[in-house]
Amino acid sequence: MSVDVGALDDFAEGAVRVIEADGREIGVVRWSGRLYALSNVCVHQSGPVCRGILSARLTAAAPGCMELDATTPVIACPWHGWEYDVRTGAAIWDSTYRLRTYPVSVASGRVLVDLARPA
Amino acid sequence: MYQGPVIDCDVHHARRTDAELLEYLSPGWREYITDRGPAGIMPLTVQDGLANPHGFMRADTYPQTGGPAGSDYATLRRQVLDRADVRRAILTFGDDSHVAGHHNPYFANELARALNDWSVERWLSLDRRLASSIMVASQLPDLAAAEIRRHAANPRMVQVMMVDNPFNYPFGHPVFHPIYEAAEECGRPIAVHGGAGGWANPASTGGGNVNLYFEAHTLWPQVVMTHLVSFISHGVFEKFPRLRLLLIEAGSAWLPSLLWRFDTEYKGLRREVPWLRRLPSEYFSQHVWVTTQPLEISPQRGQIVELLGWIEGDRKLVFSSDYPHWDADELEHVSSRLPQAWHRRVFFDNALAFYGWQEADLPASAVAAPA
Repeated sequence: MSVDVGALDDFAEGAVRVIEADGREIGVVRWSGRLYALSNVCVHQSGPVCRGILSARLTAAAPGCMELDATTPVIACPWHGWEYDVRTGAAIWDSTYRLRTYPVSVASGRVLVDLARPA
Repeated sequence: MYQGPVIDCDVHHARRTDAELLEYLSPGWREYITDRGPAGIMPLTVQDGLANPHGFMRADTYPQTGGPAGSDYATLRRQVLDRADVRRAILTFGDDSHVAGHHNPYFANELARALNDWSVERWLSLDRRLASSIMVASQLPDLAAAEIRRHAANPRMVQVMMVDNPFNYPFGHPVFHPIYEAAEECGRPIAVHGGAGGWANPASTGGGNVNLYFEAHTLWPQVVMTHLVSFISHGVFEKFPRLRLLLIEAGSAWLPSLLWRFDTEYKGLRREVPWLRRLPSEYFSQHVWVTTQPLEISPQRGQIVELLGWIEGDRKLVFSSDYPHWDADELEHVSSRLPQAWHRRVFFDNALAFYGWQEADLPASAVAAPA
């Protein structure tokens, strides 16, 4: 079941927008021109994870370094800071913890989220 | 009671007199220390700390021939080495272990060098069962690293000992990393001894400097907790992946709750430490071992065992007596509090694994086989 969540132009590059579809809150992220959709419920304490900070993943080649991996968008839950890879929904520190993700497509300039199956 | 082979990872040895150590100092330092006219020699140990109402040493450990507890080989042999099938006792110094608490870093470095030579010549030569820690003056990390490398060829100088904290930065701070680089290179673990940073240097606890020895001793693990968290947070085990760490004389029952909290904090604060690639508890599991003394006494015996199960106590604990201190644990006591299935590992096998030894590397049993 695909749901029309808005015009493509409504989703700014490098930002997350929380929409409601079929009674669920879903965060839609546009990152490097691609769209991702994921549940707005953190697996930790059910916080509104997609209301948190979206950024490129911070990495370090060695202790004391601070580098940016621009290919990996990360959303950090505003409640306790748990971070997830937006592309897969997997927690950064343990991929067995996951936010639900949904397939996203664009048709005729409209963004469609498929609620029926996981991404 | 356990009757198999034993490695005791914390036995404090001591000098009988100042003169014993003076001969290991360079002529210049010996002159500087001794030639003060009627003022006598400069103190060789750090003059600080809270007084223990019992005294710090078990009364029965003072040699009958005089001198401080831990200063007489015959007494130590009778009370430690020959009491059980001890294959190795690791010497950890006494008051001299506070060398990093000296204000003068150059003096401290010379003392550390002299102490190590004294330990090799005056103790390791007496009994093949004895091994020694390498004392370092961490005030000068590059020179401390050189001291570690100086002993690299001696397999009975088995670990690098850190007690006092000269900089008031916990031991994971990069200022200490030259020490860890040398330790890893030489295949020696780091041994952080309880009281580190809480004896000669502030702060003795996280909340401030306590006033009573009762408080200090109750809170003894706090300092070691701080160093453990610092080691892992600063990525010491990412930078030195073959480095091992031993926590001495801080107990162990606090570890499960600390590691649970540590892992939880990592999940929320990973952004600050992106160099960590695993949960803190995983670094602990791979790199850190813990001595038994003082084994916390739970109201029921099973409670401490269940708690230590959370840190794989049967794999991570190594026996230590802390002889000749007033709060030393007897082997019989530890044996009675831990499950029989753990005994061989805690009293022997885990230390073998930690130090990278084979049983054949150690002296054979001195205990006569039962008739």
